[in-house]
Amino acid sequence: MIIDVHAHWGPWFFTMDVAEANLATMDRYGIDRAIVSATEAVIYDAPAGNRALAAYLETQDRLLGYVTVNPRRLREAEEDLRAYLPGGRFVGVKIHTDYTGSPVASPQLRDALTLVAEAGCPALVHTWGASVLDLARVCQDIPGLRVIAGHMGADGYRHAIEAANACDRLYLEPCWSHAPAGRIAEVVAAVDPARLLFGTDATLIDPSSAFGAVAAAGLSAETAERVAWRNAAALFTI
Amino acid sequence: MMARMAIKDETAMPFDAWRRIGGLEVALDVDVLFGAYPDRDGPPGTPASVLRVLGAHRIRAAAVASLRAALFDVRSGNDELLALTAPAPTGLPASGLLEAAGSGTAVPGNGESGAAVVPVGTAIVPVGAVDLRDPIGAARELDRLASAGVRAVRLFPDEQGVEAGFPSVRHVARQAARLGLVVLTGGDVRRFWRPFAGLGASVVFLDTHFYHLGDFLVAAADEPGFHTSTRLLNSPDALELAAAEIGADRLLYGSRTPHYEPLVPLLRLATSGLAPVEIAAVAGGNAARLLSGETARKEQP
Repeated sequence: MIIDVHAHWGPWFFTMDVAEANLATMDRYGIDRAIVSATEAVIYDAPAGNRALAAYLETQDRLLGYVTVNPRRLREAEEDLRAYLPGGRFVGVKIHTDYTGSPVASPQLRDALTLVAEAGCPALVHTWGASVLDLARVCQDIPGLRVIAGHMGADGYRHAIEAANACDRLYLEPCWSHAPAGRIAEVVAAVDPARLLFGTDATLIDPSSAFGAVAAAGLSAETAERVAWRNAAALFTI
Repeated sequence: MMARMAIKDETAMPFDAWRRIGGLEVALDVDVLFGAYPDRDGPPGTPASVLRVLGAHRIRAAAVASLRAALFDVRSGNDELLALTAPAPTGLPASGLLEAAGSGTAVPGNGESGAAVVPVGTAIVPVGAVDLRDPIGAARELDRLASAGVRAVRLFPDEQGVEAGFPSVRHVARQAARLGLVVLTGGDVRRFWRPFAGLGASVVFLDTHFYHLGDFLVAAADEPGFHTSTRLLNSPDALELAAAEIGADRLLYGSRTPHYEPLVPLLRLATSGLAPVEIAAVAGGNAARLLSGETARKEQP
Protein backbone atom coordinates (compact mmCIF):
# COMPACT_ATOMS: atom_id res chain seq x y z
CA MET A 1 0.00 0.00 0.00
CA ILE A 2 1.33 3.43 -0.95
CA ILE A 3 -0.35 6.81 -0.55
CA ASP A 4 1.15 9.66 -2.56
CA VAL A 5 0.48 12.88 -0.64
CA HIS A 6 1.94 15.20 -3.28
CA ALA A 7 0.40 14.72 -6.69
CA HIS A 8 -1.29 16.80 -9.36
CA TRP A 9 -4.04 16.45 -11.89
CA GLY A 10 -4.12 18.38 -15.13
CA PRO A 11 -1.80 19.63 -17.86
CA TRP A 12 1.61 21.27 -17.49
CA PHE A 13 3.18 23.96 -19.64
CA PHE A 14 6.42 22.04 -20.26
CA THR A 15 7.10 19.74 -23.21
CA MET A 16 5.01 16.91 -21.85
CA ASP A 17 1.57 15.39 -22.25
CA VAL A 18 0.50 13.93 -18.93
CA ALA A 19 -2.93 15.38 -18.24
CA GLU A 20 -4.52 11.93 -18.43
CA ALA A 21 -1.59 10.02 -16.96
CA ASN A 22 -2.43 9.87 -13.25
CA LEU A 23 -3.67 6.32 -12.86
CA ALA A 24 -1.24 4.72 -15.30
CA THR A 25 1.63 6.50 -13.59
CA MET A 26 0.47 5.34 -10.19
CA ASP A 27 0.10 1.78 -11.41
CA ARG A 28 3.72 1.60 -12.57
CA TYR A 29 4.88 2.00 -8.99
CA GLY A 30 2.12 0.34 -7.01
CA ILE A 31 0.71 3.62 -5.72
CA ASP A 32 -2.80 2.91 -4.55
CA ARG A 33 -4.03 6.38 -3.65
CA ALA A 34 -2.88 9.89 -4.46
CA ILE A 35 -3.91 13.25 -3.09
CA VAL A 36 -3.89 15.66 -6.00
CA SER A 37 -4.19 19.37 -6.62
CA ALA A 38 -5.39 20.75 -9.93
CA THR A 39 -2.57 22.24 -11.95
CA GLU A 40 -4.88 25.00 -13.11
CA ALA A 41 -5.53 25.90 -9.49
CA VAL A 42 -1.85 25.83 -8.55
CA ILE A 43 -0.55 27.75 -11.52
CA TYR A 44 -3.28 30.17 -12.53
CA ASP A 45 -6.83 30.23 -11.19
CA ALA A 46 -7.51 28.49 -7.89
CA PRO A 47 -11.32 28.54 -7.92
CA ALA A 48 -11.54 27.35 -11.53
CA GLY A 49 -9.05 24.56 -10.93
CA ASN A 50 -10.70 23.46 -7.70
CA ARG A 51 -14.04 23.37 -9.45
CA ALA A 52 -12.69 21.26 -12.31
CA LEU A 53 -10.98 18.88 -9.90
CA ALA A 54 -14.16 18.47 -7.86
CA ALA A 55 -15.96 17.32 -10.98
CA TYR A 56 -13.17 14.95 -11.94
CA LEU A 57 -12.98 13.37 -8.50
CA GLU A 58 -16.59 12.31 -8.93
CA THR A 59 -15.52 10.03 -11.78
CA GLN A 60 -13.06 7.75 -9.97
CA ASP A 61 -12.09 6.66 -6.48
CA ARG A 62 -8.29 6.39 -6.31
CA LEU A 63 -7.66 10.11 -6.11
CA LEU A 64 -8.46 12.50 -3.31
CA GLY A 65 -8.16 16.25 -3.60
CA TYR A 66 -6.40 19.23 -2.17
CA VAL A 67 -8.29 22.49 -2.19
CA THR A 68 -5.71 24.86 -3.64
CA VAL A 69 -5.52 28.20 -1.86
CA ASN A 70 -4.01 31.35 -3.32
CA PRO A 71 -2.92 33.38 -0.28
CA ARG A 72 -3.62 36.54 -2.27
CA ARG A 73 -7.27 35.54 -2.72
CA LEU A 74 -8.41 34.57 0.75
CA ARG A 75 -12.06 35.42 0.19
CA GLU A 76 -12.17 32.94 -2.66
CA ALA A 77 -10.24 30.47 -0.55
CA GLU A 78 -12.80 30.65 2.24
CA GLU A 79 -15.57 29.95 -0.25
CA ASP A 80 -13.73 26.97 -1.71
CA LEU A 81 -12.93 25.49 1.68
CA ARG A 82 -16.59 25.73 2.64
CA ALA A 83 -17.66 24.24 -0.68
CA TYR A 84 -15.31 21.29 -0.98
CA LEU A 85 -13.99 20.08 2.37
CA PRO A 86 -17.33 18.83 3.74
CA GLY A 87 -17.88 16.53 0.79
CA GLY A 88 -15.09 14.19 1.79
CA ARG A 89 -13.33 14.03 -1.56
CA PHE A 90 -11.00 16.90 -0.61
CA VAL A 91 -8.89 16.15 2.44
CA GLY A 92 -6.40 19.02 2.66
CA VAL A 93 -5.13 22.31 1.30
CA LYS A 94 -2.37 22.94 -1.21
CA ILE A 95 -0.43 26.20 -1.26
CA HIS A 96 2.30 26.90 -3.78
CA THR A 97 4.44 29.75 -2.59
CA ASP A 98 6.15 30.56 -5.91
CA TYR A 99 3.20 30.58 -8.31
CA THR A 100 1.27 32.84 -5.94
CA GLY A 101 4.17 35.11 -5.09
CA SER A 102 3.66 34.27 -1.43
CA PRO A 103 6.88 33.29 0.32
CA VAL A 104 6.52 31.16 3.42
CA ALA A 105 7.44 34.13 5.60
CA SER A 106 4.94 36.49 3.95
CA PRO A 107 1.95 37.90 5.84
CA GLN A 108 -0.52 36.51 3.31
CA LEU A 109 0.86 32.99 3.68
CA ARG A 110 0.47 33.27 7.45
CA ASP A 111 -3.13 34.42 7.02
CA ALA A 112 -3.82 31.55 4.65
CA LEU A 113 -2.43 28.99 7.05
CA THR A 114 -4.49 30.48 9.86
CA LEU A 115 -7.52 29.87 7.69
CA VAL A 116 -6.41 26.29 7.08
CA ALA A 117 -5.95 25.66 10.79
CA GLU A 118 -9.49 26.87 11.39
CA ALA A 119 -10.71 24.48 8.71
CA GLY A 120 -8.99 21.65 10.57
CA CYS A 121 -7.22 19.95 7.67
CA PRO A 122 -3.53 19.57 6.82
CA ALA A 123 -1.82 21.88 4.34
CA LEU A 124 0.82 20.90 1.80
CA VAL A 125 3.12 23.89 1.33
CA HIS A 126 5.84 24.16 -1.30
CA THR A 127 9.23 24.58 0.37
CA TRP A 128 12.70 25.06 -1.09
CA GLY A 129 16.01 25.66 0.60
CA ALA A 130 15.82 27.38 3.96
CA SER A 131 12.14 28.34 3.55
CA VAL A 132 11.23 25.14 5.38
CA LEU A 133 12.55 26.80 8.55
CA ASP A 134 10.12 29.68 8.01
CA LEU A 135 7.36 27.10 7.73
CA ALA A 136 8.30 25.62 11.08
CA ARG A 137 8.13 29.07 12.68
CA VAL A 138 4.70 29.79 11.20
CA CYS A 139 3.46 26.37 12.24
CA GLN A 140 4.63 26.95 15.80
CA ASP A 141 2.77 30.26 15.86
CA ILE A 142 -0.57 28.91 14.63
CA PRO A 143 -2.22 26.57 17.13
CA GLY A 144 -3.47 23.31 15.73
CA LEU A 145 -1.98 23.80 12.27
CA ARG A 146 -0.57 20.68 10.60
CA VAL A 147 1.66 21.30 7.62
CA ILE A 148 3.52 19.16 5.15
CA ALA A 149 6.76 20.64 3.88
CA GLY A 150 6.50 19.82 0.19
CA HIS A 151 9.84 18.64 -1.26
CA MET A 152 11.19 18.84 2.32
CA GLY A 153 13.16 21.84 1.19
CA ALA A 154 14.63 20.05 -1.87
CA ASP A 155 18.32 20.94 -1.62
CA GLY A 156 17.56 22.33 1.82
CA TYR A 157 16.76 18.93 3.32
CA ARG A 158 19.09 19.54 6.23
CA HIS A 159 17.00 22.59 7.07
CA ALA A 160 13.99 20.28 6.86
CA ILE A 161 15.49 18.08 9.55
CA GLU A 162 15.83 21.12 11.78
CA ALA A 163 12.30 22.25 10.94
CA ALA A 164 10.73 18.88 11.68
CA ASN A 165 12.56 18.65 14.98
CA ALA A 166 11.44 22.16 15.90
CA CYS A 167 7.71 21.66 15.32
CA ASP A 168 5.88 18.38 15.97
CA ARG A 169 3.04 19.36 13.65
CA LEU A 170 5.32 19.65 10.64
CA TYR A 171 5.60 16.67 8.28
CA LEU A 172 8.07 16.03 5.47
CA GLU A 173 7.55 14.61 2.02
CA PRO A 174 10.56 14.08 -0.23
CA CYS A 175 9.72 14.58 -3.91
CA TRP A 176 12.30 16.28 -6.10
CA SER A 177 13.51 15.74 -9.64
CA HIS A 178 17.06 15.46 -8.33
CA ALA A 179 18.26 12.56 -6.21
CA PRO A 180 21.50 13.38 -4.41
CA ALA A 181 22.99 10.29 -2.83
CA GLY A 182 21.99 9.72 0.75
CA ARG A 183 19.43 12.53 1.05
CA ILE A 184 16.53 10.37 2.20
CA ALA A 185 18.60 8.21 4.52
CA GLU A 186 19.98 11.27 6.27
CA VAL A 187 16.52 12.70 6.90
CA VAL A 188 15.07 9.39 8.04
CA ALA A 189 17.90 8.94 10.50
CA ALA A 190 17.27 12.33 12.09
CA VAL A 191 13.49 12.82 12.14
CA ASP A 192 10.63 11.23 14.08
CA PRO A 193 9.41 8.44 11.74
CA ALA A 194 5.81 9.40 12.47
CA ARG A 195 6.31 12.58 10.46
CA LEU A 196 7.67 11.16 7.24
CA LEU A 197 5.35 10.91 4.26
CA PHE A 198 5.68 9.79 0.67
CA GLY A 199 5.07 12.17 -2.21
CA THR A 200 6.04 12.15 -5.88
CA ASP A 201 4.96 15.41 -7.54
CA ALA A 202 3.38 13.28 -10.25
CA THR A 203 2.35 13.93 -12.92
CA LEU A 204 4.99 16.65 -13.15
CA ILE A 205 7.73 14.30 -11.93
CA ASP A 206 7.63 10.58 -12.55
CA PRO A 207 7.29 8.62 -9.30
CA SER A 208 10.57 6.87 -10.08
CA SER A 209 12.39 9.85 -8.62
CA ALA A 210 10.90 9.72 -5.13
CA PHE A 211 10.30 5.97 -5.21
CA GLY A 212 13.87 5.23 -6.23
CA ALA A 213 15.34 7.66 -3.74
CA VAL A 214 13.32 6.18 -0.90
CA ALA A 215 14.16 2.65 -2.02
CA ALA A 216 17.84 3.55 -2.07
CA ALA A 217 17.61 4.62 1.57
CA GLY A 218 17.08 1.01 2.62
CA LEU A 219 14.36 1.72 5.20
CA SER A 220 13.39 -0.86 7.76
CA ALA A 221 10.10 -2.61 7.04
CA GLU A 222 8.38 -0.70 9.82
CA THR A 223 9.64 2.71 8.69
CA ALA A 224 8.89 1.93 5.05
CA GLU A 225 5.31 1.13 5.94
CA ARG A 226 4.98 4.34 7.92
CA VAL A 227 6.36 6.37 5.04
CA ALA A 228 4.37 4.52 2.43
CA TRP A 229 0.94 4.97 3.96
CA ARG A 230 0.45 4.66 7.70
CA ASN A 231 1.48 8.22 8.50
CA ALA A 232 -0.58 9.62 5.64
CA ALA A 233 -3.63 7.62 6.61
CA ALA A 234 -3.39 8.96 10.15
CA LEU A 235 -2.73 12.56 9.13
CA PHE A 236 -5.58 12.75 6.63
CA THR A 237 -7.88 10.36 8.49
CA ILE A 238 -8.31 8.18 5.44
CA MET B 1 -16.76 14.56 6.59
CA MET B 2 -13.45 13.02 5.69
CA ALA B 3 -13.08 10.43 2.99
CA ARG B 4 -12.73 6.84 4.17
CA MET B 5 -10.88 4.30 2.11
CA ALA B 6 -10.18 0.66 2.56
CA ILE B 7 -6.50 0.32 3.46
CA LYS B 8 -4.77 -2.85 2.36
CA ASP B 9 -2.21 -3.89 4.94
CA GLU B 10 0.15 -5.67 2.59
CA THR B 11 3.22 -7.41 3.90
CA ALA B 12 5.34 -6.79 0.78
CA MET B 13 7.91 -4.02 1.01
CA PRO B 14 6.26 -0.97 -0.52
CA PHE B 15 9.47 0.41 -2.03
CA ASP B 16 10.84 -2.63 -3.79
CA ALA B 17 12.60 -1.00 -6.72
CA TRP B 18 14.38 -4.12 -7.92
CA ARG B 19 11.15 -5.97 -8.47
CA ARG B 20 10.23 -3.25 -10.94
CA ILE B 21 13.67 -3.10 -12.51
CA GLY B 22 13.59 -6.82 -13.20
CA GLY B 23 16.55 -8.14 -15.10
CA LEU B 24 17.70 -4.84 -16.57
CA GLU B 25 21.44 -4.27 -16.47
CA VAL B 26 23.42 -1.23 -17.57
CA ALA B 27 26.09 -2.12 -20.09
CA LEU B 28 27.67 1.34 -19.96
CA ASP B 29 26.88 4.28 -17.68
CA VAL B 30 27.95 7.54 -19.31
CA ASP B 31 28.14 9.68 -16.15
CA VAL B 32 30.40 8.49 -13.33
CA LEU B 33 32.98 10.38 -11.29
CA PHE B 34 35.97 9.43 -9.22
CA GLY B 35 36.77 11.89 -6.46
CA ALA B 36 34.96 14.17 -4.05
CA TYR B 37 33.58 17.69 -4.07
CA PRO B 38 35.40 19.64 -1.36
CA ASP B 39 32.42 21.99 -0.97
CA ARG B 40 29.94 19.18 -0.29
CA ASP B 41 29.46 16.50 2.34
CA GLY B 42 28.99 13.84 -0.30
CA PRO B 43 30.80 10.53 -0.66
CA PRO B 44 34.59 10.33 -0.97
CA GLY B 45 34.39 8.83 -4.43
CA THR B 46 37.33 6.48 -4.14
CA PRO B 47 37.57 4.17 -7.13
CA ALA B 48 36.84 1.08 -5.07
CA SER B 49 33.80 2.61 -3.39
CA VAL B 50 32.42 3.92 -6.67
CA LEU B 51 32.84 0.59 -8.40
CA ARG B 52 31.14 -1.13 -5.50
CA VAL B 53 28.09 1.10 -5.95
CA LEU B 54 28.09 0.48 -9.68
CA GLY B 55 28.31 -3.26 -9.23
CA ALA B 56 25.49 -3.24 -6.72
CA HIS B 57 23.32 -1.58 -9.35
CA ARG B 58 24.28 -4.00 -12.12
CA ILE B 59 26.21 -1.31 -13.96
CA ARG B 60 28.76 -3.34 -15.87
CA ALA B 61 30.85 -0.52 -17.32
CA ALA B 62 31.14 3.19 -16.73
CA ALA B 63 32.58 6.23 -18.47
CA VAL B 64 34.51 7.78 -15.60
CA ALA B 65 36.08 11.21 -15.23
CA SER B 66 38.24 12.58 -12.44
CA LEU B 67 37.12 15.34 -10.11
CA ARG B 68 40.75 15.96 -9.24
CA ALA B 69 41.27 16.87 -12.89
CA ALA B 70 38.10 18.95 -13.04
CA LEU B 71 38.58 20.86 -9.82
CA PHE B 72 42.31 21.08 -9.17
CA ASP B 73 44.90 19.81 -11.60
CA VAL B 74 43.98 18.54 -15.03
CA ARG B 75 47.11 16.68 -15.87
CA SER B 76 47.66 14.79 -12.62
CA GLY B 77 43.96 14.01 -12.35
CA ASN B 78 43.77 12.61 -15.84
CA ASP B 79 47.01 10.71 -15.38
CA GLU B 80 45.72 9.20 -12.17
CA LEU B 81 42.61 8.01 -13.97
CA LEU B 82 44.54 6.69 -16.94
CA ALA B 83 46.89 4.82 -14.63
CA LEU B 84 43.90 3.11 -13.07
CA THR B 85 42.76 1.95 -16.46
CA ALA B 86 46.15 0.98 -17.85
CA PRO B 87 46.44 -2.59 -19.02
CA ALA B 88 47.41 -4.91 -16.18
CA PRO B 89 51.11 -5.60 -16.02
CA THR B 90 52.03 -9.19 -16.60
CA GLY B 91 52.15 -11.20 -13.40
CA LEU B 92 49.86 -9.00 -11.31
CA PRO B 93 47.65 -11.23 -9.19
CA ALA B 94 44.23 -11.65 -10.72
CA SER B 95 42.55 -11.04 -7.37
CA GLY B 96 43.84 -7.49 -7.43
CA LEU B 97 42.15 -6.59 -10.66
CA LEU B 98 38.79 -5.89 -12.05
CA GLU B 99 38.23 -7.84 -15.19
CA ALA B 100 37.98 -5.84 -18.37
CA ALA B 101 34.60 -5.96 -20.02
CA GLY B 102 33.19 -4.57 -23.20
CA SER B 103 35.05 -1.46 -24.23
CA GLY B 104 36.50 -0.91 -20.79
CA THR B 105 39.88 -1.86 -19.41
CA ALA B 106 41.21 -3.46 -16.28
CA VAL B 107 41.13 -1.47 -13.05
CA PRO B 108 43.32 -2.25 -10.08
CA GLY B 109 41.52 -2.20 -6.78
CA ASN B 110 42.93 0.09 -4.15
CA GLY B 111 43.89 -0.88 -0.65
CA GLU B 112 41.33 1.40 0.96
CA SER B 113 38.41 -0.94 0.68
CA GLY B 114 40.07 -4.02 -0.71
CA ALA B 115 39.80 -5.16 -4.27
CA ALA B 116 38.17 -8.40 -3.23
CA VAL B 117 34.89 -6.64 -2.46
CA VAL B 118 34.79 -4.83 -5.79
CA PRO B 119 32.56 -6.68 -8.20
CA VAL B 120 34.51 -8.48 -10.86
CA GLY B 121 33.25 -7.58 -14.29
CA THR B 122 32.81 -3.87 -13.67
CA ALA B 123 34.86 -2.02 -16.25
CA ILE B 124 35.68 1.63 -16.66
CA VAL B 125 36.13 3.70 -19.77
CA PRO B 126 38.42 6.66 -19.02
CA VAL B 127 37.07 10.10 -19.82
CA GLY B 128 39.49 12.99 -19.85
CA ALA B 129 38.75 16.31 -18.23
CA VAL B 130 39.93 19.77 -19.15
CA ASP B 131 39.69 23.08 -17.36
CA LEU B 132 37.61 25.64 -19.20
CA ARG B 133 39.25 28.37 -17.13
CA ASP B 134 42.40 27.69 -19.14
CA PRO B 135 41.46 27.27 -22.80
CA ILE B 136 45.05 27.23 -23.98
CA GLY B 137 45.98 24.47 -21.59
CA ALA B 138 42.71 22.70 -22.34
CA ALA B 139 43.54 22.48 -26.03
CA ARG B 140 46.98 21.05 -25.21
CA GLU B 141 45.39 18.52 -22.88
CA LEU B 142 42.91 17.46 -25.55
CA ASP B 143 45.80 16.69 -27.89
CA ARG B 144 47.55 14.73 -25.18
CA LEU B 145 44.44 12.76 -24.28
CA ALA B 146 43.67 11.94 -27.89
CA SER B 147 47.24 10.76 -28.40
CA ALA B 148 46.83 8.50 -25.38
CA GLY B 149 43.80 6.88 -26.98
CA VAL B 150 41.16 8.56 -24.85
CA ARG B 151 37.93 8.83 -26.81
CA ALA B 152 35.89 11.24 -24.68
CA VAL B 153 36.37 14.44 -22.73
CA ARG B 154 34.16 15.78 -20.00
CA LEU B 155 33.43 19.45 -19.36
CA PHE B 156 32.52 20.85 -15.94
CA PRO B 157 31.31 24.37 -16.65
CA ASP B 158 29.23 24.72 -13.49
CA GLU B 159 31.99 23.51 -11.23
CA GLN B 160 34.50 25.77 -13.00
CA GLY B 161 32.23 28.82 -13.08
CA VAL B 162 32.26 29.01 -16.88
CA GLU B 163 29.32 30.23 -18.91
CA ALA B 164 28.29 28.91 -22.32
CA GLY B 165 29.14 32.16 -24.03
CA PHE B 166 32.73 32.29 -22.88
CA PRO B 167 35.22 31.98 -25.77
CA SER B 168 36.86 29.10 -23.94
CA VAL B 169 33.88 26.81 -24.43
CA ARG B 170 33.68 27.37 -28.18
CA HIS B 171 37.44 26.90 -28.46
CA VAL B 172 37.39 23.59 -26.60
CA ALA B 173 34.33 22.47 -28.59
CA ARG B 174 36.15 23.10 -31.86
CA GLN B 175 39.29 21.31 -30.73
CA ALA B 176 37.36 18.31 -29.47
CA ALA B 177 35.44 18.07 -32.73
CA ARG B 178 38.67 18.33 -34.69
CA LEU B 179 40.12 15.43 -32.73
CA GLY B 180 36.95 13.34 -33.00
CA LEU B 181 36.51 13.29 -29.23
CA VAL B 182 33.08 12.74 -27.79
CA VAL B 183 32.21 15.56 -25.40
CA LEU B 184 30.31 14.85 -22.21
CA THR B 185 29.23 18.18 -20.82
CA GLY B 186 27.40 19.51 -17.83
CA GLY B 187 25.58 22.81 -17.83
CA ASP B 188 22.16 24.02 -18.82
CA VAL B 189 21.41 22.52 -22.23
CA ARG B 190 19.44 25.62 -23.23
CA ARG B 191 22.72 27.52 -23.23
CA PHE B 192 25.40 24.90 -23.77
CA TRP B 193 24.00 23.59 -27.05
CA ARG B 194 25.18 26.71 -28.82
CA PRO B 195 29.01 26.42 -28.60
CA PHE B 196 28.75 22.90 -30.09
CA ALA B 197 26.39 23.80 -32.92
CA GLY B 198 27.58 23.54 -36.51
CA LEU B 199 30.74 21.58 -35.70
CA GLY B 200 29.53 18.07 -36.41
CA ALA B 201 30.39 17.38 -32.79
CA SER B 202 29.37 14.32 -30.80
CA VAL B 203 28.06 15.64 -27.52
CA VAL B 204 26.24 14.15 -24.55
CA PHE B 205 24.46 16.72 -22.43
CA LEU B 206 24.64 15.36 -18.91
CA ASP B 207 22.34 17.81 -17.14
CA THR B 208 19.32 17.88 -19.45
CA HIS B 209 16.34 18.37 -17.16
CA PHE B 210 12.89 17.44 -18.36
CA TYR B 211 11.87 21.06 -17.88
CA HIS B 212 14.21 21.83 -20.78
CA LEU B 213 13.51 18.77 -22.89
CA GLY B 214 11.81 20.79 -25.60
CA ASP B 215 14.88 22.96 -26.05
CA PHE B 216 17.10 19.91 -26.30
CA LEU B 217 14.82 18.28 -28.84
CA VAL B 218 14.72 21.24 -31.19
CA ALA B 219 18.48 21.69 -30.93
CA ALA B 220 19.12 17.97 -31.45
CA ALA B 221 16.86 17.90 -34.48
CA ASP B 222 19.46 20.01 -36.29
CA GLU B 223 22.49 18.32 -34.75
CA PRO B 224 22.69 14.56 -35.25
CA GLY B 225 25.63 14.37 -32.86
CA PHE B 226 23.64 15.71 -29.91
CA HIS B 227 22.69 13.17 -27.26
CA THR B 228 21.42 13.42 -23.72
CA SER B 229 21.79 11.62 -20.46
CA THR B 230 18.55 10.30 -19.00
CA ARG B 231 19.47 11.19 -15.41
CA LEU B 232 17.05 14.11 -15.10
CA LEU B 233 14.55 13.08 -17.79
CA ASN B 234 12.25 11.88 -15.06
CA SER B 235 8.87 13.20 -15.98
CA PRO B 236 6.26 10.54 -16.78
CA ASP B 237 6.78 10.81 -20.53
CA ALA B 238 10.19 12.44 -21.18
CA LEU B 239 11.96 9.28 -22.37
CA GLU B 240 9.06 8.23 -24.52
CA LEU B 241 8.65 11.70 -25.99
CA ALA B 242 12.35 12.05 -26.76
CA ALA B 243 12.45 8.61 -28.38
CA ALA B 244 9.46 9.49 -30.54
CA GLU B 245 10.89 12.85 -31.59
CA ILE B 246 14.56 12.09 -32.27
CA GLY B 247 15.00 8.38 -31.62
CA ALA B 248 16.03 6.35 -28.60
CA ASP B 249 19.56 6.15 -30.01
CA ARG B 250 20.12 9.69 -28.69
CA LEU B 251 19.41 8.71 -25.08
CA LEU B 252 22.12 7.41 -22.77
CA TYR B 253 21.77 6.14 -19.24
CA GLY B 254 23.79 8.32 -16.89
CA SER B 255 23.78 8.04 -13.11
CA ARG B 256 26.41 10.45 -11.75
CA THR B 257 27.49 7.82 -9.30
CA PRO B 258 28.50 8.26 -6.51
CA HIS B 259 26.95 11.69 -6.04
CA TYR B 260 23.46 10.80 -7.21
CA GLU B 261 21.32 7.72 -6.65
CA PRO B 262 21.83 5.42 -9.66
CA LEU B 263 18.61 3.64 -8.78
CA VAL B 264 16.42 6.54 -9.90
CA PRO B 265 17.27 6.67 -13.63
CA LEU B 266 17.51 2.89 -13.65
CA LEU B 267 13.99 2.60 -12.32
CA ARG B 268 12.70 5.22 -14.72
CA LEU B 269 14.23 3.40 -17.69
CA ALA B 270 13.01 -0.01 -16.57
CA THR B 271 9.43 1.19 -16.19
CA SER B 272 9.45 3.27 -19.36
CA GLY B 273 7.27 2.70 -22.35
CA LEU B 274 10.26 2.16 -24.62
CA ALA B 275 10.59 -1.12 -26.50
CA PRO B 276 12.97 -3.67 -24.96
CA VAL B 277 15.52 -3.12 -27.71
CA GLU B 278 15.39 0.62 -27.06
CA ILE B 279 15.81 0.12 -23.32
CA ALA B 280 18.89 -2.00 -23.95
CA ALA B 281 20.28 0.67 -26.23
CA VAL B 282 19.74 3.42 -23.67
CA ALA B 283 21.24 1.21 -20.99
CA GLY B 284 24.56 1.07 -22.74
CA GLY B 285 24.37 0.15 -26.39
CA ASN B 286 24.17 3.75 -27.49
CA ALA B 287 27.04 4.82 -25.24
CA ALA B 288 29.22 1.94 -26.38
CA ARG B 289 28.56 2.83 -30.00
CA LEU B 290 29.29 6.50 -29.42
CA LEU B 291 32.47 5.94 -27.45
CA SER B 292 33.75 3.41 -29.94
CA GLY B 293 33.36 5.87 -32.78
CA GLU B 294 30.65 3.97 -34.60
CA THR B 295 27.78 5.91 -36.06
CA ALA B 296 24.20 5.00 -35.40
CA ARG B 297 22.71 2.65 -37.94
CA LYS B 298 19.59 4.26 -39.26
CA GLU B 299 17.06 2.44 -41.34
CA GLN B 300 16.74 4.03 -44.73
CA PRO B 301 13.25 5.18 -45.67
